[in-house]
Amino acid sequence: MKAVIIDDERLARTELKKLLQDFPEIEVVDEAANAEEGIAKIDSLQPDLIFLDIQMPGKTGFDMLRELDRAPHVIFTTAYDEYALKAFEVNALDYLLKPVEPKRLADAIQKLGAVETKEPRIIQENINNSILSENDQVFVKDGERCWFVKLSEIRLFESVGNYAKVFFGPNKPLILKSLNALEERLDQKMFFRANRKHIINLRLIEKIEPYFNGGLLLELKGGEKIEVSRRQTVKFKEMMSL
Amino acid sequence: MNSNYTKYWLYQAGGWGAFALINIFFAVTFDRLNMEYVTRMFIFIVLGIAITHGVRWLVHRIDLLLKPLNQQVVGFIFLTLLAGILLATIEIGVFHMVNLETKEMTDLSFFGQLVAFGFNSFVYLFIWNCIYFIHHYVDKTRKQQLDTLKLESLVKELELKTIKAHINPHFIFNSLNGIRALVVENPERARKAITELSNILRSSMQTEKSESVTLERELNIVKDYLALENMRFEDRLKIVYTVDEDTLDLPVPPMMLQTLVENAIKHGISKQVSGGVVKIISDFKNGYHELAVQNTGKLNGKANKEGFGLSSTLNRLNILFGDKAKFELKQVDAQLVEAKVQFPLQ
Repeated sequence: MKAVIIDDERLARTELKKLLQDFPEIEVVDEAANAEEGIAKIDSLQPDLIFLDIQMPGKTGFDMLRELDRAPHVIFTTAYDEYALKAFEVNALDYLLKPVEPKRLADAIQKLGAVETKEPRIIQENINNSILSENDQVFVKDGERCWFVKLSEIRLFESVGNYAKVFFGPNKPLILKSLNALEERLDQKMFFRANRKHIINLRLIEKIEPYFNGGLLLELKGGEKIEVSRRQTVKFKEMMSL
Repeated sequence: MNSNYTKYWLYQAGGWGAFALINIFFAVTFDRLNMEYVTRMFIFIVLGIAITHGVRWLVHRIDLLLKPLNQQVVGFIFLTLLAGILLATIEIGVFHMVNLETKEMTDLSFFGQLVAFGFNSFVYLFIWNCIYFIHHYVDKTRKQQLDTLKLESLVKELELKTIKAHINPHFIFNSLNGIRALVVENPERARKAITELSNILRSSMQTEKSESVTLERELNIVKDYLALENMRFEDRLKIVYTVDEDTLDLPVPPMMLQTLVENAIKHGISKQVSGGVVKIISDFKNGYHELAVQNTGKLNGKANKEGFGLSSTLNRLNILFGDKAKFELKQVDAQLVEAKVQFPLQ
């Protein structure tokens, strides 16, 4: 498994590399001292895993993740950061407290191994401009809470000005992306533009009802009711029929 | 409580004594002093003391002094009226029993006597009650003021304590992590770093009562702190000391320079991708001892006065020096932010 360490302190990176020597399955391919470097190295090396410090000069680790289209597996490393710890507690993301306890590191890597064997990541052929697959995860942060969300768990994207509201589980945080930009990156077999304001996940439709003007009304698994415009209804029926 | 009770009886004695003296004085002036007059006065005073004592008992019994002011005023007037009628009735009864009725009295019906005596008693009791309530009111207000002052000083003391005990946990754990890496890479530096960290931890745990330490002592902590930050930031952090040796013996509030240096690292250096410089300046200027921390960085619009570093610095300067000390945070040039404290020279 290819890994990149992103931390602004050289000693912290050295220490983590030393700890990782005990785990031959993890190959540290490179390291970065700030978010900009981190983004560049993730883009060029496509690691499976990153170890990410949160407080760094320029951009924080969270800022960096938000700029990635597709987040690799992330293990956060932080010394002590009440704000970040709060975010972790809520969502149980994996994080290590510096100085890192070898036992905790082993647990985190083992957990990662389990995820990896269950859902092996498909190696993307063309990395640039690629369409996101259902197992790809995106990093979403809304105020104090943050999540890694698999695309397959997202029911609905709703346009709110320049933002898009992302519906998954009981949560609906905002991300700074336009619906059009999202549509370009999403797999059309899975996501469907129902109208000007909504993109829905076709696999998470609960009920379909006819609506005014020859349109349709879709009810999603989360109970949201979305109207399909007349023009899109034609397309929807085409897609759904053999 | 006991001294209050003594004071009460002194007031009683003083008040009624003055009443007796004034009456006797006028009686002598108008040549009306005789045995009957004195006996009547004596009876009035004894009854007066008894009734007012009863009023006092009742006031305590119904906790009238603890009630809101408007209720107190109503209760006070009602009590005075009641006591006035009671006093007059008993007085008339007693005078009648011991045959001390004046000529004017015999001309009046019982009701007439009651009105005349009642008015008289009401006036005296009104004065008595006024004194009693006003005394307690003033006493209570003074006590409240005293309590507020005590509370304020307690809060100040607590604030000072928390300032002293404050070290950034982020810094401690990052340092420990760095030290762990150094143990392999550079054992000598690791040993030194442990000493530096111990010094900082010790100084922050010592909750000394003193309000000031010498600059030299404060500077020792700051040097250890910056040495550790230098271990973490390596070539991203440059440190410059420009300290006038004569200022080393001057008193400064403990951990104040340290707080400013921590801020310089937190808001300045740690946000610069390519790092920067921290400069510590101590000098005499215009009759002040000037202590300044400069760091590479940009002051973002309005500095956060709510933040711990700034607010605690301002508060402490205010507590210790009033408006004689000055504090300033400004952008000195495009690259440099300066936090400057000016202490008055004693």
